[in-house]
Parts: sequence; C-alpha cells; structure tokens
Amino acid sequence: MVSVTTLPKSGVAGAWSSADGGTLVVDDIVKQFDTPEGPLVALDHVSLSVRPGEFLAVIGPSGCGKSTLFNVIGGLLDGYQGAVTVGSETVHGPHAAIGMVFQEESTFPWRTVIENVAFPLEIAGMSKKDRFDKARKFIALVGLTGFEKRYPAELSGGMRQRVAIARTLASEPKILLMDEPFASLDEQTRLLLGDKVLQIQQELKQTTLLITHNITEAVQLADRILVMTYRPGRVKRIVTIDLPRPRSSDVVSSEAFGRYVAQIWNDLREEATRGMQDEETRALHAGEAS
Amino acid sequence: MAEAGRLNLPAAPTIRAEPVTVVRVGIIILILVLWEAIAQSGLLYRDVVPSLLAIGTALVKLLSTSDYYWHLSVTASEVGTGLAVGGLSGLLVGLVLGGNRMLSKSFEPYLYYLGPTPKIIFFPVMIMWFGVGPGSKVAMGAISCFFPIALSTAAGMRQIDRVLIRVGQSFRANAWQMATKIYLPAMRHPIINGVRLGLGVAIIGTLLAETKLSNRGVGFLIIQAYSLFDMPRMYAMLIVLFVVAIGANALVGRLGGLSTIRQR
Amino acid sequence: MTVAAITRSRAFPLALGLGSLLVAVLVVEALIRVGVINRFIVPLPSQIVMAFERVIVEEDIADRFRLTFFEALTAGAMITVVGVLLGLLLFRINILRQATETWVAAMASAPTVLMYPLFLVIFGRSAWTIIMMGFVAGLPPVILKTIEGLSATRRVLIDVGKSFKLTGPQLFIKVLFPAALPTIFVGVRLGLIFTLINVVGVEFLINFGGLGQLINDLAERYDLPGTYAAICFVILVSVCFFVFTEWIERWLRPVD
Repeated sequence: MVSVTTLPKSGVAGAWSSADGGTLVVDDIVKQFDTPEGPLVALDHVSLSVRPGEFLAVIGPSGCGKSTLFNVIGGLLDGYQGAVTVGSETVHGPHAAIGMVFQEESTFPWRTVIENVAFPLEIAGMSKKDRFDKARKFIALVGLTGFEKRYPAELSGGMRQRVAIARTLASEPKILLMDEPFASLDEQTRLLLGDKVLQIQQELKQTTLLITHNITEAVQLADRILVMTYRPGRVKRIVTIDLPRPRSSDVVSSEAFGRYVAQIWNDLREEATRGMQDEETRALHAGEAS
Repeated sequence: MAEAGRLNLPAAPTIRAEPVTVVRVGIIILILVLWEAIAQSGLLYRDVVPSLLAIGTALVKLLSTSDYYWHLSVTASEVGTGLAVGGLSGLLVGLVLGGNRMLSKSFEPYLYYLGPTPKIIFFPVMIMWFGVGPGSKVAMGAISCFFPIALSTAAGMRQIDRVLIRVGQSFRANAWQMATKIYLPAMRHPIINGVRLGLGVAIIGTLLAETKLSNRGVGFLIIQAYSLFDMPRMYAMLIVLFVVAIGANALVGRLGGLSTIRQR
Repeated sequence: MTVAAITRSRAFPLALGLGSLLVAVLVVEALIRVGVINRFIVPLPSQIVMAFERVIVEEDIADRFRLTFFEALTAGAMITVVGVLLGLLLFRINILRQATETWVAAMASAPTVLMYPLFLVIFGRSAWTIIMMGFVAGLPPVILKTIEGLSATRRVLIDVGKSFKLTGPQLFIKVLFPAALPTIFVGVRLGLIFTLINVVGVEFLINFGGLGQLINDLAERYDLPGTYAAICFVILVSVCFFVFTEWIERWLRPVD
C-alpha cells in the first residue's frame, strides 16, 4: 500500500512550472569510444527533446547506448559531437538544472537517510537546519517519514532507491534524468515504486527522462517513448502514449496499454535479436582466440 | 503510512559461551603454575625465570613510581609524533597513487617491495640525519608506519564504489567537497586498518630505536634493566608494554568496528 | 610510435619508476657536490656505488649472507613445522581454537621483537637468540592461516570424500590438507617475511650474525658509504626474497 503525501503549494512545488522554458534538447549527438577492437560508435546522430512537464522514456536493448546517452546528458561524458542544451544553456559537465538518479546502489552508506537526502543542499552551502527541514519534505514525498535517522544498510533495496530519488529531487532539478533506477529491484517493488514516481511526477509536474529496458514500465509511466536501435544507437521510432492522465497502475490492464506494449515489442524484438546474435558471435571469437 | 520495508538490523553481539572462558582461565592458570614450578626448581640459572611474586612486586614498584610514567610519556610522544608524520605523508602519497593509474603502476611497487624490510637497519642513517635525541626515534616510527598506511590508502582509493563518485560529480561538488565528503568517508575502513597496522609498527620501530641508542623512554628502560640484570623489572616492563600495545590495537580496531554497523 | 602508444605500453610505468629513481639519485649527487647537502651526513651516491664492491670483497659478504640465511632457514623450518602442527591441533580441538585464536591474532601484531633483551639473557649473544626471535615473530601467521585454510575447505568437497567412503585420516590427507595447502602456504610466506625481518633486525640490534651485524659494524666505524651500501644490499636481499616467495605462491595456486 503506497500513499501519496501532498506537498504544500508553497515552497517546493513552486520551483517547477511549465512556463519555465526549460526544454531539454539533445541535438545530433555522435559519441565514439576507442576500444582494443577498434572504434565503437555508441551513439549515431541521436536527437530528442523533452518538453517541460513531460515524461519521456528511452527504451532499447542492452548495448544500444542508453547509458552513454544518460552520461552525455548528465554531463559526465564529453568528447562527443553535437550539443545538449537546457533552455538556452549548453551542457558542459554536470548542469544545475539536471538531476541524475543512477542504476546502481548509490546512497552513501556512512550517512543517515536525512543526511543523504540533504547532501545536494549541503554542497550548495545551505545551513544545517534549513537543509534538514527541506530534506524532510522530500523524504515524506517518497514515503519514508520515520526513517530519517536510519542508515542505508538498515533499509531494503527499494527503500534505498527511494532515498536516492529523494536526494536528487532535493536539488530541485528542472529535468530529472533516471538510468534504469528500478533495475536491481524485484518485480513487485518495481511496480509499486513506478507508481510512486508517477504520482510524484504528476504532482510536481517534473520534467523526466527515464532510461529503461522494461516495456511495461515505459508505457505505464511515459508520455512519449523513444525506441533506440542496437549499436550503433540511433532513434528508431518515437511513440506517443495517449493513455489518459492522471495514471495509476490500473492502466496496465487496459486494451490500449496492451496495444502499445505489443507495438513497441515489435520494434524492440528486432533490435534485441540483433544484439543477442552479436553477443554470441563475439563470445565465439573470444573463445577461438584464446 | 509508510511502506513497511525489511529492516536489516545489525546482529546482536555474540555472548561468549561459558566453556570457552573456562578453557581460557584454565590455560592461564596452567601457564602460571608451570612458570612458578620452573622458577622454584632452579633449572635455569638465577632469575632468568623469576618467581611470580618477584615479577608482581616489580610490576607494582614500576607502576607506582612517577619516573616510569615520565619515560612512558616520552615514548608515547615519540610514537605519536612518528605516527602523525608517517601517517599524514602516507595518507597523502596513498591518495595520489590510488587516484592515478599511471603513478600507481610506476611508483607503488617501490612501496610494496620496500614495505617488508626491517626498518631498524635505517637507524644509523636516521641518527646521522636527526641526531641522537628524540628526532631519530620519531623518524624510525615515521618510516615504519609510512608504508602500511600509504599502501592501504592507495588500495582503499581503488576500491571506492565508482557510483558514489559520480553522485558527487552529478551534484557538482568541488574538489574539497569531493575529498572530504565522498573520498575519505568511503575509504574509512582501509584507512583505519592501515592506521591500526601503522600504530603497531610505529610502536615497534620507536621502541627498538630506544633500545639501541637512547637515554630515555620505555625502550631505554628495558635495555637498562637488561644491563643491570634486573629480570623481574624487565618482565614487568614487557608485560606493561604488551598490554598497552595490544590494547591500543584493539581500541583502533573498535573505532573501525563501530562503523561497520552502518556498512552495507 | 605516438606518445599515446608509448604511455600505454606495459614497459612505460616500469621505465617511469626507474627513471625517476635515477633522476632523484643524480639530483642528490649534484646537491651534495654543490654543498647544499652535507656530505658527512649523506655520502655521494657515486661513493656508495663504489663502496658496494669494497664491502662485498672486504667484508666477507658470502659468509655473512650464509649465516643470515642459515638463521632464517632454521627459524623458517621451525615456524612451518610448529605452526602447521599447532594450527592443526587448534582446528581439531574446537574449544581450544575458540579460546586461543584471538590470542594468537593479538600476538601477530604485538611488539614481540622487544623481547630480544630477554632472549639475550636466555640464549646469550648467539645465533640462537636470533633464531628464536625469528621463530616467535613468524609463528602466529602460520598458525592462523593453517586454521583458516583447513576450516575454509568447501563443504561439498568433504561430502564427495565421504560419499567415496574415505576414512577419517584418508579424508584429511586426500581432501582437507590439499585443499588447505594454498592458504597454508600464504601463512608460511607471511611468517617467513616476519622471520626474515626480525632475523636481520635482531642481528643489527645485538651486533651479532650476518648481514644485520654488518650494517651495525660499518655504522660504528663511521664508514658512511659502506653503511649505505650495506643497507641497500640488505634491501636487495629482502626484496628478492619477497619476490621469490610471491612467485612460488603464484605457482602453487594457478587455479583457485
């Protein structure tokens, strides 16, 4: 049973608004890596845009360059052609308007929940009282009130991811960037957490870009879905999800939902198969070489 | 109403089973009885194995004279200073080597292979450079503890969970914030273990130097007792030394152990 | 070759390390000649290099090396035999293990070498003081690692042995002990290192024996270049020993 904590209209929610003009534009990115086997093109002329308040999901098979895209937009990778802009500013390195939630366990094990969530505010120089007050609001938002003084080791995996999400939200980013945040969780937790994220996003009108390999998750949460090809990563198709908002997890049982999932799987299957064959070929060659 | 999550609480400390304590006490009593038997038998020449009473008396005498505590404080300050100098430089070198692959591959082997050498052989050089006073003793302690601390720190840098660094970068922490809020806390275990090891070898290095050439400190007292053939006194001092050294080691270990409750 | 290719080659770090050392030595040489560093405190590196040959020829290096080697070997044999046996005993008698394992661990980090004046009284100024000190220092790691090796044998291997109806002693000789051998060797190696450190160290301290005594001797004669050369020589021996044992360990556990 997941509950939603409604935030007071002042303070936090006012930080975002559709009139902000904070559109994320990814313009013609080409990113290549030098590997011992030769140059590898991870992203091949990838472009996309996310409108303020929109929830965009990027889906693709393993090896399609999703994580590379995540790191490029987040400013943790450079050496690419093309540009990433937020509003009118170009992204060079981690940008204040972009918040990242990572796939792996990323909470600081030596800090309590509230110290974790207050971390970005601490970096920004906020006083202890102020940042703890603010952190408590976000802890309530993800439904972890009461766990402020606990350490991550005392929490479950799903709870730790919620702490990570609260921590990123505490920095009030215009754009929330998430790289398969539920990948390490079991199915039930994943569904419930997905619900939670949806509620938060709808409430805060948070512009979100979610990277995932899970079709159901993408259709459940997104306004639009970008399907990527297998390496080299290109945009294969953009699908607009016309399911009604506000959405809850009940939407998964609707007919329209099923059709969207089938459609996307159709596109994805081709890419996933190519990916698998490629893996097998490489494993075969690696075995022969040794 | 918050979602009920699995709370992985730390396990309660195990209570020592009765039989173990009995065995331990039994062993200690056995040793003491054997000791006293040898002492009384006159098998080994006079005073090599003094009676327990003699050792006990010497121990009481030792701990009740302020003279001893003065020497103890001299040694303690030498060890402390040596640990500070060696520890800080070890930490810095470890941070640099751990953070850079190329530097690590080029220079860390020197530390790795120089580590297991007897540092006391450097003592004549230390005397030439720092004189016959406390300087050379501090230097011995410093070079003894430098190596384990540098090596543990370098290894600690390398085993930091990379994602934690990316979190810091994504929140645009500056270099100082990265170092103090992310790198150092993430390395607390290897660093504490390194310091624990460093403390042990710093004590040994400093004390050996004192036994070789000094006119103050616990090491000096030990060698003095030897030259005066005051065996009960020597035993008493060795007992105190071992208790203090093992106690200090356990204390530092506890410091590291306490924080493991919070470890994933 | 491009700069990038050179930096990435495997020899580069080695070259960088050795090169830096060489540069440092040359800088020290220059500073001493110029007078910035007092040549009565730090002798010219060139003099140290020359002293190497002198020390080897005049100071009977071969005999000294043999003596140190003999002491270390004796102590090493003792720690291996006694250590493995004690480790076995503690492994078999669990209550003893529970009672004493932490004591042995404490001894491993305790300043046992500080007992050398005591051993001087008991054994006199002789090789036996040195050997016994080496023995005491190197014993704990062997015991601990033997216990660890024996208790870490995977359950399934013991079950395989039992399923083939091996008797107790057979199970031990054919399954437990071979499985524990790599870890036991790690312990012996650690113990040998501690032993060697203490052997050379005590030789220096009591001014008796082989290489350690040589350093003491040269220092007391104020033969600066000789002292430095002897120290370098001992470091060399220690490093070679360390590398040698590492090589054997790697050879002993190619698959684990």
